[in-house]
Amino acid sequence: MTGWQVGIDIGGTFTDVIALNSETGQLSTAKTRSRPDDPMASLLDALDAIGIAWRDVDDLVHGTTMVTNAIVEKRLARVALIATEGFVDTLAIGRQNRLHLYRLDLEPKLPPQVPDQLRFELAERVDAAGEVVAEPSEDAIEAVVREVAESGAEAVAVSLLHSYANSEHEERLGVRLRAAGSRYVALSHSVNPEAREYERTATTALSAGVMPLAAGYLDLLDEHRPAESRLHLFHSAGGLASPSALRDTPLGLAFSGPAAGVAAAGTAASSLGLANAISFDMGGTTTDVCMIVDGQAEIRSDGTLVGRPLRMPMVGVESIGAGGGSIARLDTGTLRVGPESAGADPGPACYGRGGALPTVTDANLVLGYLDDARLVGGSIRLDRGSAERAVGTLADEMGLDFHKAALGIVRVVNASMVRALRRVTVERGIDGRDCAVLAFGGAGPMHAVGLARDFGIRSVVVPRFSSVFSAVGCITAEMSYTQQRTVRMSSGAWEPDRLNRVRTDLRERLSLQFEAVGQDFETQEVAAIRYSGQSYAVEISDPALERPEALGSQFREQHEALYGFATDEPWELVAIRTRLSAPQANHIPGIRHDGTGDAEPATTGSCWFEGVGKAVTPRFDREALREGQRVAGPAVIEDVWSTIVVPPAAALTVDGGGNLHIDVGAGA
Amino acid sequence: MTASVDPITLEVIRNALSATAEEMSLVVMRAARSPLLREAGDLSSALTDASGELIAQGRDIPMHMGVMSFTVKEFLKRVPAERLAPGDVWFLNLPEVGGNHLPDVKAIRPIYVADEIVAYAVSLAHWADIGGAVPGSYVPGATDAWQEGLRIAPMRLFSSAGPERQPLDFVLANVRGADEREGDILAQMAATRAADQRFHELLQRHGTDTVTCAIHALHERAETQMRHAIGTLPNGVYEGEDWLDDDGAGGGPIPIRVSIEIRDDSARFDFSGSGDAARGPVNTTPFIAAASVFYTMKALVGPDIQPSGGCYRPFDIVTRPGSVLEPGPERPVVGGNHETSQRVADAIFRALEPAVPGRLSAGGPTTSGLLLFAGRRDDGAWTTLYETHGGGEGARADRDGAPVIRVHMSNVMNTPAEVIEAEYPIRVTRQALRRGSGGAGMHRGGEGLHREYVMLVDDMSLTSMFERAAVPPYGLQDGEPGALFRVGIERKSGERQSLPGKANVRLDRGDRVVLESCGGGGYGPPDGHSKAAGCDVRGTEDTPVENRPTSHR
Repeated sequence: MTGWQVGIDIGGTFTDVIALNSETGQLSTAKTRSRPDDPMASLLDALDAIGIAWRDVDDLVHGTTMVTNAIVEKRLARVALIATEGFVDTLAIGRQNRLHLYRLDLEPKLPPQVPDQLRFELAERVDAAGEVVAEPSEDAIEAVVREVAESGAEAVAVSLLHSYANSEHEERLGVRLRAAGSRYVALSHSVNPEAREYERTATTALSAGVMPLAAGYLDLLDEHRPAESRLHLFHSAGGLASPSALRDTPLGLAFSGPAAGVAAAGTAASSLGLANAISFDMGGTTTDVCMIVDGQAEIRSDGTLVGRPLRMPMVGVESIGAGGGSIARLDTGTLRVGPESAGADPGPACYGRGGALPTVTDANLVLGYLDDARLVGGSIRLDRGSAERAVGTLADEMGLDFHKAALGIVRVVNASMVRALRRVTVERGIDGRDCAVLAFGGAGPMHAVGLARDFGIRSVVVPRFSSVFSAVGCITAEMSYTQQRTVRMSSGAWEPDRLNRVRTDLRERLSLQFEAVGQDFETQEVAAIRYSGQSYAVEISDPALERPEALGSQFREQHEALYGFATDEPWELVAIRTRLSAPQANHIPGIRHDGTGDAEPATTGSCWFEGVGKAVTPRFDREALREGQRVAGPAVIEDVWSTIVVPPAAALTVDGGGNLHIDVGAGA
Repeated sequence: MTASVDPITLEVIRNALSATAEEMSLVVMRAARSPLLREAGDLSSALTDASGELIAQGRDIPMHMGVMSFTVKEFLKRVPAERLAPGDVWFLNLPEVGGNHLPDVKAIRPIYVADEIVAYAVSLAHWADIGGAVPGSYVPGATDAWQEGLRIAPMRLFSSAGPERQPLDFVLANVRGADEREGDILAQMAATRAADQRFHELLQRHGTDTVTCAIHALHERAETQMRHAIGTLPNGVYEGEDWLDDDGAGGGPIPIRVSIEIRDDSARFDFSGSGDAARGPVNTTPFIAAASVFYTMKALVGPDIQPSGGCYRPFDIVTRPGSVLEPGPERPVVGGNHETSQRVADAIFRALEPAVPGRLSAGGPTTSGLLLFAGRRDDGAWTTLYETHGGGEGARADRDGAPVIRVHMSNVMNTPAEVIEAEYPIRVTRQALRRGSGGAGMHRGGEGLHREYVMLVDDMSLTSMFERAAVPPYGLQDGEPGALFRVGIERKSGERQSLPGKANVRLDRGDRVVLESCGGGGYGPPDGHSKAAGCDVRGTEDTPVENRPTSHR
């Protein structure tokens, strides 16, 4: 045991790594370029960058976009599907809505994940209450298993009607398929035990599609991992899971990256005592925001990925197509920014790789926020001339000088991000002005104050290690396993025995993972309840499932809080979500400095600000800032990977944990 | 005047206005009581300027677009602005007053600066019931407007002092589910209140003059964009027609005819040649005809144009009083909203085909395919399943049509079989592609849907409202038409009957309803391409018969 805890988040472009020695308090962070084709090499590169050998690492926690990328790039296994007789076309029918309202030329829906010739049916039937209407015959099971074996499929998805209410037929098929040699079998009641046949079937097929690839990577990790080092992966619902738990449901990795950042934001919000916070992660092409209440990120289970339903518990991130690479252009008298992006290649004009269109990053350089004397990301030298030319062309079109045009680009991109903040708060019935913004990622801290002002928010926090925040999430989040299951029980016909069976079963399935490693855990339940006949359910944390009357009161109280009314009408328990968790003991230690006195600016330059114009602006190195130091705007704080802008009238203070608190003040 | 708003401020204000309309819709979805609003989202929100011109719209539902562009203007003809006061919220649903059909109820709030109105917030919501002959207020046999439910002429339900209890009670006394309706009314009120607040924040931030100038500039911008889009079409006069299956009251097919004159950057749409007003509920309003014009033009030449009053300026839209598109206030209209609006779109597309060769789809499922099941559950509670059914998309010059989809004026999702079985006394015994229903062609029309419903209790009521059962989705460029929409009933006794497109029947335990939605029209001659029935990149529709799924018993 050396005490080293290492978090590594492999993103699409960069890999973030943080190492914390839980015994000595030593800390080290780095960022390396990801190797998209070789996640194992990306991981080893990251370990190299912090100079710690894997065998010296006690715990390694790893977030990855591998599964996400496989889905986005359609590198999926050939999947066969077994469905209930009469329902074999469910994937082709979908929900019958079209993707594009006004585009006749585009395909109105995605092709089914499983082609016609790989869809097989079995005569069997269960009803909505889980009662068996028709038993499948042995012969029929044998025949369909044989057909699947002969179909040449690499993985099998089984999705029978109402299997969330009675999984017996799926389980029988699973046993038979495995006995017949199928290595990769995804059963819908196990992947997503919830009603709605299209979403469950699509999720199960997607899970089957990534199984071989994920298994290959997990094997590789097993091979490389020294016996003395523990390994966990970061899953979509904001916690850690063991590699073996992910073999059966690798789809749980689909939102691994965003989930790690949001989890770190949740931990930061709790330790800073922020009741309502909005995580704000602005990258090159997209910006993710998530509502965090009492340190808990919103969890939802109705997500999508590239237009496919992906119904598993995951952090409720709202993602919009605006980032540093978003391109600005004049469109019939308005300045539009994004959703077109210069991406990483060619990238913004100032990257000097052939991009000629002005982007948000170019605007930030023109305004003096980014510094062309420094290397961005340790390797890219920004070219001010190219940025000025790109922004200048646009400025000429608008008849403005290029500083005004650059300020305009920033205002417009902020306006579109404000809209995302509005959505995540209004949907939860929260007054956004009571929230704090937790800003991280490459560009988040640069835009956070302007954004907060536009939205009426008073306070911005840039947490310590904000530029490798997903990696921070890896070493500070809990180990957890989450699953949601449809129950359907009305207040007038309460069935305590059935409810207990469902709860016990959920708990037992999830606890296997902890028992395998001999670890204690806590259980958290969330109940989804609605008025009978309605379709929208309200989520109740710590529900009084043993006492229906008390549960009813909890429901009415929550309904009143969210929707402004509650009645005494009958209600029903729709679903239960169970989360088993074991906290990690890791805390990021505070900052320490030798000597006394506030840090002085490293340099001073000129920046341009909305409503102020040009202002002499001191620039500080983030690492030099002292606990308790107050920096009045205008100021720019820099580390190797990110830039924090404190505009005039705003003021920043540094706490003992190295977090930067910005009072946004009353500026424009 | 417009020159004084720079492109940056204009974009920031445009974004804020759209965000406000979007927030209104979120408020209704969160606060409403009825599932139709909360989950299906059958609602729209809009902001207009002081003259009633649309500025921004919340949820983009093509059908509601036309309505929202006219509601406030028509409302002001009935209720002059002088009669309004700060804090007022007025409700109305008259089709002839900037409306479409009775279930779509609009709430209008004037937004004041000092004592001057600067804008209006409008919240449109589809109420699950508006009274009338049957629960759900879909009366296929209606022969006049009063049979369709409560007609709310503009009426103030809220003032700055709070709810106006008497008119509110009057409305609630005339609709089913008064508690639920009251919740919906409060939600619509709350949405307009949120808009009022946001609009004032915007004025505070930018100043009233700047915002007013920006709104003018946005109208002009939309007008410019639409004129530019029209300018891409060759000048000329284009004629097109399509046919409604029947009038819903025993009468034969009704033509929808349009004569379109494209002249440089403006267009005239004359629907005078359309049939006379129908006895049954397939009539609609000029506002719906305008919505179809806007939708088709957007789809053909300007998909990115933002909804705004300015979009309509280049159009001259003519309907004939006494026709099915301008029937007057006495005629029933409930089905025309989603059936006839689609037929108007079909007629326009068919007219403009020579102007945009190769860019149109063949005929698709331009019907809601509505079945409305109502009955009592085991626990005695009334329950209504309002289900629309998509069909096969029309094929295009470059691809086959997609299977089972909603097209053009609406985009409502289906209800999953697992939800139907859990909540209604109905079992879904089959849910599959209707193979072979897509019209043949060089590219094939998409396949329709085959869905079967078996009743589990006695005394259910089934109401239908669908089209394309007599006039099939058309093929293009010698492609074959798609298969007709067809609904059959197999009684438990073994007796079979066919269900007309606008009908109401009783069903009992064991009766089976077999729905087969229409296939899409084909594109190009079937023999012009050997792949007509063969390979399909989607790998779904065209798999040869021997590869189709087999069943094992």
